[in-house]
Amino acid sequence: MTAHLPQAAGMRLSCRGLTVAYEEAGRPIPALSDVGFDVAPGASVALLGSTGAGKSTLLQTLKGLLEPEGGDVVLDGLAATDEGFVALRREVGLVFQRPELQLFAGSAREDVAFGPRRLGWAADEVAAAVDAALELVGLPAADFGERHPYALSGGEQRRLALAGVLAMRPRLLLLDEPFVSLDPAARRALVVVLRRLVDGGTTLLLATHDVDAAWGLCGERLVLDEGRLVAAGPWAFGAGGEEAFAGHGLEPPFLVELWRRLGRPVAEAPRSAAAAAEALR
Amino acid sequence: MSAPLVDIAGLRFAYPGAAGPALDGLDLRVAEGEAVALVGPNGSGKSTLARLLAGLAVPDGAERATVCGHDLLDAAGRLAARRDVGVLFQDPENQLVAEDVEADVAFGLENLAWPPERIRARVEEMLAAFGLGGLRERAPHLLSGGQKQRTALAGVLAIPRRVLVLDEPTAMLDAGGRDEVLAAVRQVRAEGLATVFVTQEMREVGLADRVVALERGVAVFSGAPRELFADLGLVTRLQLGVPPAAEVVLALRRAQAPGRDREATAGEAAERLPLTLDELLAALAEAAL
Repeated sequence: MTAHLPQAAGMRLSCRGLTVAYEEAGRPIPALSDVGFDVAPGASVALLGSTGAGKSTLLQTLKGLLEPEGGDVVLDGLAATDEGFVALRREVGLVFQRPELQLFAGSAREDVAFGPRRLGWAADEVAAAVDAALELVGLPAADFGERHPYALSGGEQRRLALAGVLAMRPRLLLLDEPFVSLDPAARRALVVVLRRLVDGGTTLLLATHDVDAAWGLCGERLVLDEGRLVAAGPWAFGAGGEEAFAGHGLEPPFLVELWRRLGRPVAEAPRSAAAAAEALR
Repeated sequence: MSAPLVDIAGLRFAYPGAAGPALDGLDLRVAEGEAVALVGPNGSGKSTLARLLAGLAVPDGAERATVCGHDLLDAAGRLAARRDVGVLFQDPENQLVAEDVEADVAFGLENLAWPPERIRARVEEMLAAFGLGGLRERAPHLLSGGQKQRTALAGVLAIPRRVLVLDEPTAMLDAGGRDEVLAAVRQVRAEGLATVFVTQEMREVGLADRVVALERGVAVFSGAPRELFADLGLVTRLQLGVPPAAEVVLALRRAQAPGRDREATAGEAAERLPLTLDELLAALAEAAL
């Protein structure tokens, strides 16, 4: 039997003219310049760009950890000055890079319960949310609930940290490089979890260097280059593959490149090896 | 034939308080100039081995554990090993220590109290070798990930080394940074340095002369990369994953013969799997004839 988190509809996200700068020795260093885009409820969007392009800054600004110098984050049509915005922002979940470094409790269950408790939920509601989140990430409470976080493998710790965010039932989930330093098996397990979330209607914004994983999971992509948004919306292909990638330190997904080299229309490139095989047989 | 640079048999190591050993009788030999990729699931002992090779941790025991002729089982040997073995770690954020690129490359040499003239000459040589000349006055935090790793590598190799250990040096980089670092590593290899390369990226394994797979602290495979991916039973057991090109061929086999399970596929051990896009295209062209 599978426990389910009651799935609320995904959140709509918009940004208008978002500008963020860091101060460095008294001088502002721009991190995001005039970034604007729309993400529909339930969309899954890859956030791509070289190291230093501003991906983490964007995610942290969306969650409200960084204050923009200019522009607006708009959640379900509400801007920061609107009533109800604060409550909406609580429904934005951010999973940091290497989130397992922030595990601290004595058991998996306690670690996941931390967030929901801080939201002031009743004990039975917390317990239900914790069980459902552990189930969702493939660490069922019956087997893993009492395990010490440090006794889990690296991949399990990563998913446990994700469960800690999912237990708060985010309607918009922001993930910062979730695949870094996971082995291929752990990566696959995480992809399964993320696909479940996408299928369940959660809006997903996934910052990653792994273009192949992004291609498999995300219907759209945002491409940042030195703090500027250079592409948004569905993956767009010209005859030469992903045009927006050229010159931004990115390479096209393997399956897109395969389709291009086979002389097939790249707009029809498959999203998985299985789909590729189906088309090729 | 000269003795191997790394000559390890039965190496054991356990972290204090851990349920089991991290290395449980590990064997590894690396010849002069050889490039060895270390693969295996999270927790199989790869990074522990990397630290031990560099003399950064104390083994619990071994039948034999020498690196460049230094015995890792005694303190003096480990200290000597640290001189001969350079290590590049995964995270570009915490390997640079000085105020700019030039000072960072010089840092290790200054600690060894080289004369200033020799330091200057060596730093120039390293900056040129790793294409960092134009960045010499750049502060580390203003470098891209790939530039940071190249700077760290130049610093590690400024001290003349005999073995280079790389612990997932590209894991946190984008495609551009990864290519930069891999090009630098290829160059190091071309100069004849023995390299031991920990990686999770199955498409990087093809760069090695030999791949060693670890499972629960033991080396369970040693051979050419192609032989590893030909043994699908082992690849499946170690949950290694295969390069995307091989994945497509495996999916094709499943699509053409539905109902065949993993055991059946493992029986085709001798069949060649493509490891690159070019090899996949060649295999598809051949199948179409």
